[in-house]
Amino acid sequence: MAIAAPGQLNLNEVPSWGSRSVDCFEKLEQIGEGTYGQVYMAREIKTGEIVALKKIRMDNEREGFPITAIREIKILKKLHHDNVINLKEIVTSPGPEKDEQGRPDGNKYKGGIYMVFEYMDHDLTGLADRPGMRFSVAQIKCYMKQLLTGLHYCHVNQVLHRDIKGSNLLIDNEGNLKLADFGLARSFSNDHNANLTNRVITLWYRPPELLLGATKYGPAVDMWSVGCIFAELLHGKPIFPGKDEPEQLNKIFELCGAPDEVNWPGVSKIPWYNNFKPTRPLKKRLRDVFRHFDRHALELLEKMLTLDPSQRISAKDALDAEYFWTDPLPCDPKSLPKYESSHEFQTKKKRQQQRQHEENAKRQKLQHPQQHTRLPPIQQSGQAHSQMRPGPNQPIHGSQPPVATGPSHHYGKPRGPSGGPSRYPPGGNPGGGYNHPSRGAQGGGGGYSSGPYPQGRGAPYGSSGMPGAGPRGGGSGYGVGGPNYPQNGPYGGSAAGRGSNMMGGNRNQQYGWQQ
Amino acid sequence: MAANFWTSSHYKQLLDQEDVDVVSPLDREKGITLEDFKLIKMQMANYISKLAQHVKVRQRVVATAVTYMRRVYTKKSMSEYDPRLVAPTCLYLASKAEESTVQAKLLVFYIKKFYNDDKYRYEIKDILEMEMKILEALNYYLVVYHPYRSLSQLLQDAGLSDISMTQVTWGVVNDTYKMDLALVHPPHLIALACIYIASVHRDKDTTAWFEELRVDMNVVSLPDVSASFPYDYL
Repeated sequence: MAIAAPGQLNLNEVPSWGSRSVDCFEKLEQIGEGTYGQVYMAREIKTGEIVALKKIRMDNEREGFPITAIREIKILKKLHHDNVINLKEIVTSPGPEKDEQGRPDGNKYKGGIYMVFEYMDHDLTGLADRPGMRFSVAQIKCYMKQLLTGLHYCHVNQVLHRDIKGSNLLIDNEGNLKLADFGLARSFSNDHNANLTNRVITLWYRPPELLLGATKYGPAVDMWSVGCIFAELLHGKPIFPGKDEPEQLNKIFELCGAPDEVNWPGVSKIPWYNNFKPTRPLKKRLRDVFRHFDRHALELLEKMLTLDPSQRISAKDALDAEYFWTDPLPCDPKSLPKYESSHEFQTKKKRQQQRQHEENAKRQKLQHPQQHTRLPPIQQSGQAHSQMRPGPNQPIHGSQPPVATGPSHHYGKPRGPSGGPSRYPPGGNPGGGYNHPSRGAQGGGGGYSSGPYPQGRGAPYGSSGMPGAGPRGGGSGYGVGGPNYPQNGPYGGSAAGRGSNMMGGNRNQQYGWQQ
Repeated sequence: MAANFWTSSHYKQLLDQEDVDVVSPLDREKGITLEDFKLIKMQMANYISKLAQHVKVRQRVVATAVTYMRRVYTKKSMSEYDPRLVAPTCLYLASKAEESTVQAKLLVFYIKKFYNDDKYRYEIKDILEMEMKILEALNYYLVVYHPYRSLSQLLQDAGLSDISMTQVTWGVVNDTYKMDLALVHPPHLIALACIYIASVHRDKDTTAWFEELRVDMNVVSLPDVSASFPYDYL
């Protein structure tokens, strides 16, 4: 094997160690965009295998290789489970990063590192968003069971995911569900003694203890998110679409009751409890609001959405819940219908078409303010899902034919405003104006740029001006980022979350606090 | 770190001593012998440990950094990868991987402050560039298991968990990083060997305990694990 000149990497050899060049892959198209970097669907030239390439952005790094990437790699290299996304390898690109003299400019790897993942066809949010999609009870159980199995595995291996949400749950056409995007994940010790940042987890899925400022926490934070997803699957829409932290807490308290020393011993010692404690007494209304749920589902949901993290059900116990052992039983993943995977068809042309549609939709939106809102994605499925949530069934995306065959990654599909009853008051989207002065000082909680989470991650309104991004709270809006790809989701920059990142939620800022 | 050592890359990548003791052709051309090779690595392990004291990071970071450095030199030559740059860079990378981040500029500051030799002087950008090369040489395998974790448990089990015994054993474990042991043996075995050495040194009889463990004493007392340990000074 040839030896590279001093100071040069030997990129041509395919060594038994070290990494291959990204040239081993042929990029097919961009399928995600994050502050972290872009995500591409690619084909391995030698084998023809389709993979997802997630680029690790280096150009803004003052401290070398990002610690978040280090964490993600460390964690992914250690987790091997059917319900956890598989990091196949890491490849580098020699890159064009040379200065005028053709010399490496100090860091020749700038922008040239990719994580190679197995390719997955959908993510849960995207799938649920498909027009006319209806999940059966057995299907929901099947997904929930896989989610819990994967999460249990992470927790046993002392890894907190810290960003469980629909767009980070990837689903392939075999019905397999895998946890993805470990960009916010980190390992924990069982004593929960380390101080961890509370600026994690997308706002809508963030548990009350983090919202109250706890810095010592454990696996229960992920279980709250699971509860939110569970409820969302059953209910047809996100249950806590808060637009900022105070509102988020309020929504939680309104449903789960107000915390006190009785139902949550120690809550008054959590840092921001006094700032956020509800001014009026609130009763737990969970059973009432979701009375139409199946009994076992409600029972399990209640255990997941328990305010006190120490009383919240663990992934292991949740798997033992009656819910999963009563008819209809969780179905075999393989028996699930195969949904059309769309990336293959996502040509640039189509993207432009979609953009065009979005433009039109945007204009439409401007003309008809009442159409500001579109239905929340999952609601669509929920609505289709009439046995669970009867509701007006209305054409969704009716105006966007290309969309109908669209991908079920939510990024692939622009969500135009669909006419319809709006759950949210028109004008409820202050166009990215959620920046809270009080939070601003903290850099919006570090990584998430300014303002509360959904926007740091999402910021969909601001720059990318997505027409369709409507109703969903802070408009982290399930990643209707830009026209098309800004999905950021699953493989995507984790900081990216659901929104587009065009505003560049500054991932870098994260490093400081995220330890 | 990970719950299961046996499925880890660390376990899968354990090497035979013969594979570790290979001087790369490039270095050999320059006249570096195996003995030199080992001494340079020991010297660099010391360097890392000194630097770590200045920037105040835990011993575990040092242990990880030294392991990285030793792994790098199973793949790369010292001619291409200057140990005087690799050493601080490994510390820098290990500090991130072990969640005790040290800023590159701080490292550079202490290097300049304490090492007058120009050959040690590297700038931030050198460290950052070398970091990428090291990551690649390590094939991004960053998880390292150390004997420290099992040490206190084992000592307790052996009924040797008094402070003085713990200290001696801990020190012996620290010293194992002066050799390539971590690349060759699993951490629990190193921990046992260290307990063995420390107990012999302190005249503690551990025969019964080791018998009960059913650990293969031939392995524990294998020359490279314990007997040949440079312990004249204990």
